[in-house]
Amino acid sequence: MWEFATRSLEASTIFTFAALGELIGQRSGILNVGVEGAMLFGATLGFIAAQLTGSYLIGLLVGLAIGALLGLLHGFFSITLGGDQVVSGMGIWIVGFGLTTYIGNPYTGPLGMARIPNVFGLSPFVYLGILLVLATWFLFSKTSLGLRIRSVGENPAVAEVSGIDVARTRYFSVILGGMLMGLAGAIYGLSYNPVWNYNFLMGWGFIALALVFFSMWNPWLLLGGAILFGAMWQLSLSPELVLPGFLSRYLWRTVPFVITLLVLFAMSSKWFRGRWGAAKPAALGEPYIKG
Amino acid sequence: MPQAILSGIKRGDVVLELRGITKRFPGVLANDQIDFTMRAGEIHAILGENGAGKSTLMNILFGLLQPDEGEIYVGGQKVTFRSPLDAIEMGIGMVHQNRKLVLAHSVIENIVLGHPRAGKILNLTQARAEIEALCRRYGFAVDLDAKVWQLAEGEKQLVEILKSLYRGAKILILDEPTSALAPPETKKLLASIEAMSQDELAIVPFITHKLPIVLATSHRVTVLRQGRVTARLETVHSTEQSLAKEMVGREVIFRLDRVAVARGEPVLQVQNLSARSDRGFMAVKGASFTVHEGEIFGIAGVSGNGQQELAEALTGLRKVEEGKVLLKGEEITHAPARRRWQRGLGYIPSERNTVGSIADFSLIDTVLMNYYFDHDYTPRGLVDYARVRQLTEDLIAEYGVATPGAEVKARNLSGGNLQKMILARVLSRKPRLLIANLPTQGLDVGAIEFVQNKLIAAKRDKAAVLLISEDLDEVLSLSDWVAPMYEGELMGILPGEGALREHVGVLMAGGAKGEEATP
Repeated sequence: MWEFATRSLEASTIFTFAALGELIGQRSGILNVGVEGAMLFGATLGFIAAQLTGSYLIGLLVGLAIGALLGLLHGFFSITLGGDQVVSGMGIWIVGFGLTTYIGNPYTGPLGMARIPNVFGLSPFVYLGILLVLATWFLFSKTSLGLRIRSVGENPAVAEVSGIDVARTRYFSVILGGMLMGLAGAIYGLSYNPVWNYNFLMGWGFIALALVFFSMWNPWLLLGGAILFGAMWQLSLSPELVLPGFLSRYLWRTVPFVITLLVLFAMSSKWFRGRWGAAKPAALGEPYIKG
Repeated sequence: MPQAILSGIKRGDVVLELRGITKRFPGVLANDQIDFTMRAGEIHAILGENGAGKSTLMNILFGLLQPDEGEIYVGGQKVTFRSPLDAIEMGIGMVHQNRKLVLAHSVIENIVLGHPRAGKILNLTQARAEIEALCRRYGFAVDLDAKVWQLAEGEKQLVEILKSLYRGAKILILDEPTSALAPPETKKLLASIEAMSQDELAIVPFITHKLPIVLATSHRVTVLRQGRVTARLETVHSTEQSLAKEMVGREVIFRLDRVAVARGEPVLQVQNLSARSDRGFMAVKGASFTVHEGEIFGIAGVSGNGQQELAEALTGLRKVEEGKVLLKGEEITHAPARRRWQRGLGYIPSERNTVGSIADFSLIDTVLMNYYFDHDYTPRGLVDYARVRQLTEDLIAEYGVATPGAEVKARNLSGGNLQKMILARVLSRKPRLLIANLPTQGLDVGAIEFVQNKLIAAKRDKAAVLLISEDLDEVLSLSDWVAPMYEGELMGILPGEGALREHVGVLMAGGAKGEEATP
């Protein structure tokens, strides 16, 4: 049981990293559906870098860096060029899928390094993840920068009139978000599942994307959702553990998505909007063209 | 700190001066050699019709546009505004008519947004104390923790004013400050404006009509017409008539000839009709009235008193909660919109750009939107484009729509021309019931006259016309019957001939109790 808890919490942590990255970007109005691609890049390049250098730190940094680069790329396409963010995000996913398969193929197999030691019985990333949730919450509710990011995602024209540089704020958010996605991938490939294989991420990026909508853009709800989704995933690996003979693992894996759908239905109801307002950043997915 | 320019100003000092401001757009001279002076503590209204160059001037003052010629002086120093930020830093604040607020954020977050003094880690306690002091000083009542989407229009305006004041504005530009307000709110706002001017603030309201407001508050008035300053007046020396004359360039009290048409059969019968607003409350409460052939029935009211919902309920765009609607004796309470069109209803919506037309449709397709169900134009489900084009071109010629051709997209037409096109499309179907919702809103005087004459022509053709308008004079001069609407109720049905303006005005504001009834 302890094994199950630690594994599922580590999965939750990886969802948390990636989803927080997506959340920060979305709060600034930039939708990045290419989370899966960014994570695949982070996982594969991080894996290779660590194997070549024998250093986990370098592996993680490479994941961070490639994530930042992809964030910049996505930002250039959707902020500077004002392109369709979904198209750019899908591009990142498809390129990520294809290119990492090609690059990673010769490295198929286990990482072959001593595992990252646990801290108080849990992966050190779990603690980092909780800190990150705290930091994100602080950023958005207590700081001027957070308020600026939120305004840019809600109504860039208003932000502009208030003297905020919309493009800069969005670049900042989308790059920071990309870094977290790349890092999430690297943690996956170096710690959670350190055996490189074709498409070894199996859709985690999409779960992270769904998690952001599930969280209604609130970091604490996101953490809760990540714990839930992490447990779901872990169950899907061995469903017979709890409910023998009930539902296949593949059906279990759809559960996070079903839950997210239900939340989305609830959020779009008249009652919800009348009571809570629209949780979704109003300018999400819309390019801002000055003037 | 550039704001220091205005820090030591005294009452009566010149705070802002425009010299020879000129701005050209392709084919238009929007501002032509405009000179303008503002003093501390002065309320100086700028008056002009749509297209007189007000918005251009306002945008130049706030750094959204740069003038082609001319100079701006703030506190005696020459300045250039490259962006709104420059203007804000010089102590200019702007209260936009289309509110510039983040709806999902709280009032206080909106006020401190982008303010350098807010600190890296938001110091809301201090900001709150300062904002509350401002509220007390000028009599603003607004909940700082409410989300902006929860606020009424008037409160949103207060948030914008507070935002400017908190940023240290010494010159406050107000764009149509009373256009969205009910009379009691207007009264409060005017008192606050007065109080601010006592504190050496210079206030520039930009106003399109609402002339009594100008007379009630301002010290001086500058009138713009066709991009030029046509008059600079002391308010004490002007009257509504004299201001209107300067604005329009001719005597305005053009009397429309009331046409006597024999009253025919009842066309629209509304019995005890109720409908809800988008936010779920009852917006129309038990309205009953009848419109006959050959008469204009006018509904007068301040915006937001249920007129919009009434129009939508009658045209099938909004669910009827209670009551009955009969068109030529047939019950259509829950009939779909197309069925109503086919039974002889014609609708001119108030939102001509979003409901009346599709911006990217050509004028041919715009006309087709009322003909797609007509088998003469769409035989066997195929559009007979040659025929629709012919019709469109005929309508363009008949209604004098200024456009290079029928292929032009709706978005490229000016407001007046688009309205003519919509009117042409609707009237060409010879509706038996014409519902015109704010048909002249935002049009210039020429287009207003055109539209009003078309309504009279429809009446002469024995159509029943339901006119919904916020312009009391329009309702009074056109209608055979006038029904003032207040908070979803019709406050009475009066004969248009001989109805007193004051009487209808009082009913529109909820009768004698109106002053206290609204918060």
